[in-house]
Amino acid sequence: MSSLNKCVLVLAIACLAPLVIAADDPAEERHERMEKVGDAAGPVGGMLKGELEFDAAVALASFVTMQQQVDGIGALFPEGSYVAGEDRATQAVWTNRADFDQKMSDFSAALDAAVAANPQDLEALKPVAQNVFKNCKACHEDYRSPGD
Amino acid sequence: MMHVSSRALVKFLGSCLGLGLLVFALAFWWLTMPDQLKTGELSYAEPDPINGEQMFHAGSCAACHEADLRGGHELDTEFGVFRVPNISSDPESGIGNWSTEDFLNAMLRGVSPDGQHYYPSFPYTSYVRMQVQDVADLKAYMDSLPPVQNRVAAHELGFPWNVRRGIGLWKLRYLNAEPVVQLAEDAGADLQRGRYLVEGPGHCGECHTERDSFGGLRLQAWLAGAPNPDGEGKIPDITPTAREIGEWSAKDIAYYLETGFTPDFDTVGGSMVAVQENLARLSPEDRGAIAAYLKAIPASAAAE
Repeated sequence: MSSLNKCVLVLAIACLAPLVIAADDPAEERHERMEKVGDAAGPVGGMLKGELEFDAAVALASFVTMQQQVDGIGALFPEGSYVAGEDRATQAVWTNRADFDQKMSDFSAALDAAVAANPQDLEALKPVAQNVFKNCKACHEDYRSPGD
Repeated sequence: MMHVSSRALVKFLGSCLGLGLLVFALAFWWLTMPDQLKTGELSYAEPDPINGEQMFHAGSCAACHEADLRGGHELDTEFGVFRVPNISSDPESGIGNWSTEDFLNAMLRGVSPDGQHYYPSFPYTSYVRMQVQDVADLKAYMDSLPPVQNRVAAHELGFPWNVRRGIGLWKLRYLNAEPVVQLAEDAGADLQRGRYLVEGPGHCGECHTERDSFGGLRLQAWLAGAPNPDGEGKIPDITPTAREIGEWSAKDIAYYLETGFTPDFDTVGGSMVAVQENLARLSPEDRGAIAAYLKAIPASAAAE
């Protein structure tokens, strides 16, 4: 490919990329990701509650899934993507952005730590999981509207 | 036929109108008179701050009045802006110089130490169902907490809501110490306790029940959900017929109140976070009692 063609291609991609992103619905996508995080939390929660048998591989897989879903999720909360009455993300996400970003990064850090810890029994899982779960509540307190 | 001059007629009608207004004013004055408990009218034993602390958590006082009770939170409502007062033990800007009777009058009658009505943004409509001893115990516990100097500005309400005396009429209609839910005569102690905690100190209905246009709770829709007073979203229906929470077992509810986890491991959110964290400090028996009561709310009350 000639360097001119390369330039044209790069330019074309640069021009089209924002359109492609804009075509997706960030509110929809972040909601789906959060649902997946919640689904992944289920098995670990069940183990803590004593409803499920401890399984190290399942616990680790849960943390890895959550880690993947949360990675880069901040980009799915772009300015102007608040949806009144439909989306559960509150306006505070945007009016208090630095704190929101901090909470998301705390959540990511807790997930990284959980994956690295790779707990091998229930006693080891408890503090690791609680360190992850406290972040859910911390963020939902201010940045998710109640019920629906 | 007797001759009546038009002048006399005007005078007569004027007198009638004047008399009518006077009667109306007197009736208003009498009907809206703040109903204070007299000193010694209600007896209580030596207050127990340990039980008071349980009441403090059951009522989530700190959720509205701030962790150190300094107050200052603003409630922006259709009636105007209410400012949550300082209820720390500071004698100047808080309630440190209140007697136990002052506190009982505030909690159980919605009347201030200087004999004025409080606005029902302070949920005495629920606290009216509390036992005198529990309120006295709560006072003893709050007295043991540190004073915080913080002067909170007055509410800002438009007419007619700024006429405090008018709250007397509102109280005639909405202030009622009777239980909301009638339990079966053979209802166990846990159900009775749960009803007491939910309808009294817990004041759950203040957020989970919708209000009419005068700001009174629509008891026929008891705990069946309401718009979020903080603006976004909806405070959920927590009756047995609720779409989601109705499916939860009593054990699920108690677990949620203890840990903040729903049965599918979603977490508590919004203003319920602070409430849940306070309820986590109650005894397991009390959380179980709350759960038992919530499962026992008659479907008819919610469905009407």
